[in-house]
Amino acid sequence: MTDDTNDANDTVSLKDVTKRFGAVRAVDGLSLGIPAGRTVALLGPNGAGKSTTIALLLGLLTPDSGTVRVLGGTPEDAVRSGRLAAMPQEGGLVSRTTVRELVGFVSGTYRAPLPLREVLSIAGLEGLADRRLERLSGGQAQRVRFALALAGDPELILLDEPTAALDVRARREFWESMRAFTARGRTILFSTHYLEEADEYADRIVVVDKGRIVADGTSGEIKRLVALSTVSVTAGEDGVFLERLPGVVSVEIRGERAHLRTRDADATVVALAAAGGVRDLEVVPAALEDAFLALTGQAGQTERATEASEVQV
Amino acid sequence: MFGYIRLEVTRILRDPGYVIMGFAMPVTMYLVFTNLGVAGDDRVWAALYMMVNMAAFGAIGSAFNNGAGIAEDRTAGWLRQLRTTPLAPVRVVAGKAATGVLMVLPAITGACLSAALLNGVRLEVWQWISIVLLLWVGSLPFTLLGMALGYLFSGQTAAVFTIAANMTMAIVGGLWLPTEGFPSWLRVVAQWTPSFGYADLPRKVAFGETPGAGTALILTGWLVVFGILAVYGYRRAGRVR
Repeated sequence: MTDDTNDANDTVSLKDVTKRFGAVRAVDGLSLGIPAGRTVALLGPNGAGKSTTIALLLGLLTPDSGTVRVLGGTPEDAVRSGRLAAMPQEGGLVSRTTVRELVGFVSGTYRAPLPLREVLSIAGLEGLADRRLERLSGGQAQRVRFALALAGDPELILLDEPTAALDVRARREFWESMRAFTARGRTILFSTHYLEEADEYADRIVVVDKGRIVADGTSGEIKRLVALSTVSVTAGEDGVFLERLPGVVSVEIRGERAHLRTRDADATVVALAAAGGVRDLEVVPAALEDAFLALTGQAGQTERATEASEVQV
Repeated sequence: MFGYIRLEVTRILRDPGYVIMGFAMPVTMYLVFTNLGVAGDDRVWAALYMMVNMAAFGAIGSAFNNGAGIAEDRTAGWLRQLRTTPLAPVRVVAGKAATGVLMVLPAITGACLSAALLNGVRLEVWQWISIVLLLWVGSLPFTLLGMALGYLFSGQTAAVFTIAANMTMAIVGGLWLPTEGFPSWLRVVAQWTPSFGYADLPRKVAFGETPGAGTALILTGWLVVFGILAVYGYRRAGRVR
């Protein structure tokens, strides 16, 4: 399932890329290919190497080893030709300038920018065009960063934690703006540590941890890979057989209910039915969050915490 | 690049620090120095002498202000943002230098206009043109030093160094008080400073003397030194970022 195969035509292509900061390997042998027209999420906890990967793709950092290709050339060429643009996580907005002046200036550095009116409209900034940048709220400032990234109508846009500083409502508004842009068939790579965001807005999720890709696929594929579904039944007096059912990893009994955590819900249910144990059956599919925690090795703490309440049968 | 210069000029003109240091203060100081407590022949002499000195002082302040802004821009992530636009880094540096060169003009014209309109200074047209040109072209080393400080130091530190450099240039270079009153050892030091040479060349023109080739050479030397420092600062800033 891990899609390591790099195609020469890929919009983004990283091959065995490593970047160290002192003793820390921020990016550790990362290979990734992204074809045109996709919206891909780079999902990982803080410090996973997401921002470093984006800085490498922008040519702001050079890799210690490996190759970085963007739109068939170097990141610098892609930036200079205006085919690649990015939205930084923070900063980048100067004081004593209005929204219109700043967006207009950045537009002017591109050969074939989108009309200014359209940029402001997509980013939802029409009413704020003459406002000074230092007087914007966090959400408004983020929309300006987005406007700067799309001003030149780039083929590929990199967004580094675009909604990290936003509340739920501002986040939804941001993604509505983004949809207006993806509708144009552009390629988007965004980093995030919000699972729902990756789940909801990306066609493909690349899970990174400690500078490496730990999973790569659609949200459903990743869930199936590692996450556990929960099968719940009303248990009889003898619950011992439950933990021997195929796929079952652990059994938790709360009152009358037995909750079976399983790798393969189908097999567990079939076996449960064969054993005549189906009573008030409930199946809860795997959550991406569980998959994420399992993949990034953060599950340890959570599991230990729940262990105490688990009844061993 | 012109779009970049226009943006930077707009930003600086909206900066109260610039308006005070780069225009209001030198012009006010000029009018105060030349109209309060100065009498007779001294007054005519001071009106011309201090015109050049305060124009130079204001121009240096403006050039430094432009450079110190780079430290602020770095902290704000603005330079990084610029690197993700098609604008080549070398154009950003050239644009910032061009901005510095433009921003010295209000101080120079402010001092000269105050002299002509308020203090009755009368000079030949060629003298006016030479003085303004020398003050303008001669400000380049200070623009480069300001940029070097902006690249080498972060926000607060850059501001402190800029003020220190500005004061040193003004005092030791004899912009506030003529070097004639200095102790002899300090007068020797003064003659080697960039600010003394910068003001001395147009001052000679103002008083109908020939500017010294040695003075011009010293100022050119500083231009090279500050240019190298600015390039070094730019490279170092790019490395550590």
